[in-house]
Amino acid sequence: MMATQLPPKVLEAIKEGLSKVDWEGFDKSKVDALIAEILGKVDAVQLHYLENCVGCAACAPACPYYVVGEEYGPVEKAEHARHMYRKEATILGKLLGPLLNAKKPSKAEHLDMLVELVYRCTNCGACYVNCPFGIDSGALIKGLLAPLVSRAGRIPVLMAVFEAAERKRVFMDIPALRQIWQDVMAKAEQALGKPLPYDKEGADYYLMVNLADAMFYPGAVIGAMRILDKAGVNWTLPKEPLAFRPPIGAVVGFGDSAREVMSFVNESIEKLRPKNVVVLDGGFVYPWMRFQLPKVLGRRPSYKVLHITELVVQLLREGRIKLRRTDDPVTWHDPCQLGRRAGVTKEPVEALRAASSGFRLLPHHGAESYCCGGGGGIGCLSMQMIEMMAKLMGVDSSMLLSGEKEKEFILKTQEAWSIAVKRKIDDVKKSGAKTVVTACPVCMHSIEGGAKLYGLDIKVVHFAEYIAERLE
Amino acid sequence: MVEPLGGSAGDIYSFAVYRFFWVALAIFVFGSVYRLSKLVLRWRRVVKAEPRRRGAGAAIVGLIRTFLDPIIFSIKTKPYDFLAGMVALHLLGVIPLIFLLAHHVVFFAYWFPPYRLIAEKGIWIPLSMTTSTLEITSPIYPASTHFTETIWGPLVVILNGDLLALLAILGVTFKLGVKVMEQAHGLQHVRWSDYFSLGLLLFILVTGYAAARHHPLTDSTTLDVAQYRTLLGLHILGAEILLAITPFSKFWHFVFGYWYGKLHEWYDVRLQKGLV
Ligand code: HEM
Ligand code: HEM
Ligand code: SF4
Ligand code: SF4
Repeated sequence: MMATQLPPKVLEAIKEGLSKVDWEGFDKSKVDALIAEILGKVDAVQLHYLENCVGCAACAPACPYYVVGEEYGPVEKAEHARHMYRKEATILGKLLGPLLNAKKPSKAEHLDMLVELVYRCTNCGACYVNCPFGIDSGALIKGLLAPLVSRAGRIPVLMAVFEAAERKRVFMDIPALRQIWQDVMAKAEQALGKPLPYDKEGADYYLMVNLADAMFYPGAVIGAMRILDKAGVNWTLPKEPLAFRPPIGAVVGFGDSAREVMSFVNESIEKLRPKNVVVLDGGFVYPWMRFQLPKVLGRRPSYKVLHITELVVQLLREGRIKLRRTDDPVTWHDPCQLGRRAGVTKEPVEALRAASSGFRLLPHHGAESYCCGGGGGIGCLSMQMIEMMAKLMGVDSSMLLSGEKEKEFILKTQEAWSIAVKRKIDDVKKSGAKTVVTACPVCMHSIEGGAKLYGLDIKVVHFAEYIAERLE
Repeated sequence: MVEPLGGSAGDIYSFAVYRFFWVALAIFVFGSVYRLSKLVLRWRRVVKAEPRRRGAGAAIVGLIRTFLDPIIFSIKTKPYDFLAGMVALHLLGVIPLIFLLAHHVVFFAYWFPPYRLIAEKGIWIPLSMTTSTLEITSPIYPASTHFTETIWGPLVVILNGDLLALLAILGVTFKLGVKVMEQAHGLQHVRWSDYFSLGLLLFILVTGYAAARHHPLTDSTTLDVAQYRTLLGLHILGAEILLAITPFSKFWHFVFGYWYGKLHEWYDVRLQKGLV
């Protein structure tokens, strides 16, 4: 049942999202056309990923989903992209077909299998750095297979709807979401004891706050403002969030959507001419802002992009902020997108060491950090998440599910996650830490859930909140 | 038609050494150009973000880690695969065998004279266990071991064709076994071409090993000259087929894939993103 209080714009976005979803059908000519289009765009590096794998499976134990089943090892999943590549783009593959393991999906079950594999990959990059040939299986799974299955209709409704809502910029027209934003901003104003410096031109620091930041870690949003305020720097933030969690389209492999959202976000920020943009989200938002944006724009943006951990280290070194040091048994979890995928691993450790003498590294950290198992959209694929979002939107939760088949897929994914997260939880347990600091909403959600599941009594806090609480 | 060194063109050995070698080489060169141009044609110029500069020290440590991390990871997570694949098959198998075995050095120097350097510098390794043992134990210098004079000294007890061949054969057999097991488990990444590549390698190793059993001290009836020529001919033919399919198979890794892959990863992960 569609809720009546939603404005027409929002209903339209929901409708558009729903129109892309098809969990039953199989349109051979459409699938073939998609494969031709996606493989036609493969660049030299992706070609190396496709062609130079020797199939040694050395990458398998690196993957958080390998423990769930050996059919989820990185090369197992990526090999499906190679099947299609050989059939579509190699002469011998066309001629010899199955003899060279060259084939394309030919029925609905194949798409069902592929969508399952796409959501057994978090794009964590562990396979990339552990492959003797530097082959990034995640890049094939999320870069080639995800767009194929999503555009062929195998896309979770929740994601289809939020992708459309972000691209069409209607998420703030959902009353409950607007309320969340306003509440967080009101609390922040209280905490700072002065009006917030919205949309100031020429500021040194532009604090990028997206709606997802305000939703999932309001304490960190307020914390970051307190840090900037305390440091006495010239900073600003958007009056209204520019995006929900940009670019959501990237998670489901909608490249055009991702580029559209990133261009809009950039344009809005550049208008204010800030020198630096500070990102709170250590999930995919950071590598997109820091490393993908120039590729989208065809030029470098007019500002520098910093993660909040980089900013805090900078402010600490400059002596602009000081921390009350405690002996808290605390550790840092590297979000894969911030660490392995974007190189920020030292900064959080330096800041947390300054904040607590009880800081300890996880047994597996930095380049070897274990993935929490929640990335790549997997964290959103749970019935609780769907119910929570439905409630916020004021619609029935059945609206965010296409039917029994999708529901089964989601339950199976949730089950797989609960197995995959254990490796991370065990690592935290070994460290003896009582607080896990991190910087990605999905990692926070995943580690909190995993700890509950495996009976580990810990607190999970966003970096900005943890540091702000210790400001002198 | 009588070819140099006797034999006729119809004989496998002569065909392999005097004819097919050039065919294989031509296919290899053509294939390599084809593979490389495919890569170049897919090259896209994109605007890169400003790299995260962490200094020359971090770049060097990053380079070392890029090559070393997968090896350490493999030792920790798949020790048997590591022993069979990396140690037996590669480090104590095909790499020294192919490039350093004295008999190979002689052949390669025939096709490509500068390769003599390996012999002149004594980097080559002897064929058999007995000649290499003599190298150490013989009281008479230079004895009959002059041909195997190497810089490896007592190490030739390990670094000799016979032992390395056995290790390489074990390694390839293990790999073949793993493929069969994985396929029995229904895994997708096992390719039919894997069996061909590994089978071909095994064929080359076994024929090479068999050809080498013609030691003058053994009873000459165990292997007559014609049989020897056939075996060695098959061995060389197999190796030439390997050379020819290298650009089109997993063997491309030691020519290009491995080096490009690691250097690209170093550039992307360590230099561009600045991971330490
Ligand atoms: C300098 C050169 C080389 C390097 C750095 C290298 C590296 C590697 C690595 C890292 C692997 C994957 C791990 C493993 O399966 O052990 C591999 C696999 C393999 N290598 Fe090499 N290699 C080299 C030379 C060679 C040569 C000369 C041959 C044979 C003619 C060879 C044959 C193979 C085969 C058959 C595999 C695949 C095993 C499988 O099917 O799983 N390699 N190589
Ligand atoms: C065109 C290339 C090659 C030529 C001309 C060649 C030639 C030879 C010759 C002349 C021998 C000695 C046989 C004897 O004792 O009379 C030999 C042995 C051998 N070769 Fe090759 N070979 C080639 C390629 C390869 C390759 C690619 C491999 C391995 C992958 C290989 C592995 C061996 C082995 C294992 C032996 C026996 C060593 C022993 O048992 O002591 N060869 N080869
Ligand atoms: S991706 Fe790398 S580690 Fe994995 S099977 Fe292929 S070559 Fe081996
Ligand atoms: S990117 Fe991570 S989750 Fe995806 S296949 Fe590789 S190791 Fe597994």
